[in-house]
Amino acid sequence: MLEQFLAELKRAWIQFRRYPGEAIGGIFIITSVFYGLFLSAKYIAGPGLNFGDRLDAVIVGYGLWTLVTFVLFDIAGNLQSEAQTGTLEQLFLSPWRASRVFLLRAIANLFVQMLLLSCIVTLIMTLTGRFLSFPITLILPLFAVLLGAYGLSFAMGALSLLLKRVQQIIAIVQFTLLFLLTAPTEEWTGVGRIVGFLLPMSGGAGVLRDLMARGGDLDWGRLGLALLNGVVYFSLGLGLFGWAERYAKRWGKLSGY
Amino acid sequence: MISLGVGKMGDQQILQVEGLEKSYRIKKDWIRAVRSVSLDLSAGEVLAFLGPNGAGKTTSIKMMAGLVRPDGGKVRILGGDPHREAPVLRHVGAVLEGNRNLYWRLTPEENLEYFGVLRGLSRRVARSRGRELLDRFELSHKRNAVVQQLSRGMQQKVAIAVALVHDPKLILLDEPTLGLDVEATMVVKRLVREIAAEGRGIILTTHQLDVAEELSDRVAIINQGSIVRMARTQDLIAAFSGGLYEVVMEDLPEAIAEKVVALGALVEGNTIRVPETDLLYGVLDIVRPGVILSVSRQQANLTDIFLELVQGDR
Ligand SMILES: Nc1ncnc2c1ncn2[C@@H]1O[C@H](COP(=O)(O)OP(=O)(O)OP(=O)(O)O)[C@@H](O)[C@H]1O
Ligand SMILES: [Mg+2]
Repeated sequence: MLEQFLAELKRAWIQFRRYPGEAIGGIFIITSVFYGLFLSAKYIAGPGLNFGDRLDAVIVGYGLWTLVTFVLFDIAGNLQSEAQTGTLEQLFLSPWRASRVFLLRAIANLFVQMLLLSCIVTLIMTLTGRFLSFPITLILPLFAVLLGAYGLSFAMGALSLLLKRVQQIIAIVQFTLLFLLTAPTEEWTGVGRIVGFLLPMSGGAGVLRDLMARGGDLDWGRLGLALLNGVVYFSLGLGLFGWAERYAKRWGKLSGY
Repeated sequence: MISLGVGKMGDQQILQVEGLEKSYRIKKDWIRAVRSVSLDLSAGEVLAFLGPNGAGKTTSIKMMAGLVRPDGGKVRILGGDPHREAPVLRHVGAVLEGNRNLYWRLTPEENLEYFGVLRGLSRRVARSRGRELLDRFELSHKRNAVVQQLSRGMQQKVAIAVALVHDPKLILLDEPTLGLDVEATMVVKRLVREIAAEGRGIILTTHQLDVAEELSDRVAIINQGSIVRMARTQDLIAAFSGGLYEVVMEDLPEAIAEKVVALGALVEGNTIRVPETDLLYGVLDIVRPGVILSVSRQQANLTDIFLELVQGDR
């Protein structure tokens, strides 16, 4: 398992190093979009504006959005491009379960992506002059969010196995995502509270916002719920992926027929 | 089905396929892509799958590799079922149709290491196996060039090397010489022979009948999903060659020609065609002491056989 993870990491790293243009272009676009939004908000609101911890929360949300977007489309994007280039079937020829191969690969890609994300967040923090805190406990809610993200990623992967083309869906999902990660579901009451708990990733994102932007302490109860939520979405995603794999083998669709 | 598999390397059964069935639905119609395909393969044996486009070759191969689930029938690789026991796939290496089968942004060496680990080797073993294969396939000088920059022939060699990296017993090659030039085709043919000689079982599909004729111990001719004929390549060619001889004379006088025709041979200018071996000596007696320029046996080749079997079936 470790061997395979290292092999995936090496592969991800080589591809990044050999073709850095795409990744660096990505950093540039993501950062400038944020900065553009920030400047125009500032311009509209006038010089007296003080975003305060709202801005910090927005930065956290934006960083998280970038990260989760990446995770979410990683498996589906991989499946799709490998079906086109013809390596997909070779992956399914391995003695491991396909879901294991894709999960290890997605995590390896995430490591490389984390590197880029730290550049983005550092850039944004320098540009806006707001510095977030990075307590070590942030790993826990981040983990909860990522669990959910990988679950949805497997679900998207399942879709792309079945449909082969997922571009159209990507745009829709991406903005739903922005909502999920920035909606203050922790402030919702009544039915909203239950809905907020059921939505994927938003609970974990809330805990993360508290930790990083508001400098609050870790709320173990909410964290527990967020983790539970993550585990459920992760299992659902895996299940869906396994089903799609069987379907694809039944109808000879692995190679993009 | 009669088993014709007499492998060169003893009789270790590598693959057993029994009654494979596969139908696909396209809109409202069902097409039977593969119908009761059965075969077996021993160590060291090369079996060529021949058939027109859409005959079901690729579908059959993918069912053997566990990539397409059969509607019926069974596949056993060294006794294990690739559809149920994923570890069985350690014994399988495949280069699939028209695909690249490789990461174009990685070098041959990196591809070999990556796929070696994916097939269950440790990174260290994968690396050393990879280096061995690169040496053997005369690719060492290209081991640090990204695959994208290699010629089509070299890419195919790398793909075959990758299929071998984990030392599998069964090799599936779907159109391994597709799009290769004469020289690259020769190299691939040589490699296939070598790989088989190491005691692996190989199934390959091809549209190049000369390739099948040279490489295979047995051929299976498949048409509209069914195997219409399976036999040892040499036997099949012999069976279809009949006993046709051609005797070319320097000069063939009218009177002699008439005698020859009366015996049952055909005459065309100075050439006598003898349809059966038994007649040959009678014909030679008649033409004595005329000058014979050549006597030759007309070999049928797989192309003729293939056309006859496949078209006869329509
Ligand atoms: N996934 C699929 N969905 C629907 N039909 C399919 C699928 N895969 C194969 N077929 C059909 O099954 C039949 C057999 O196809 P297959 O690819 O096995 O033929 P083949 O012998 O490999 O042909 P070729 O020489 O062109 O490669 C064809 O009619 C093809 O259209
Ligand atoms: Mg084919």
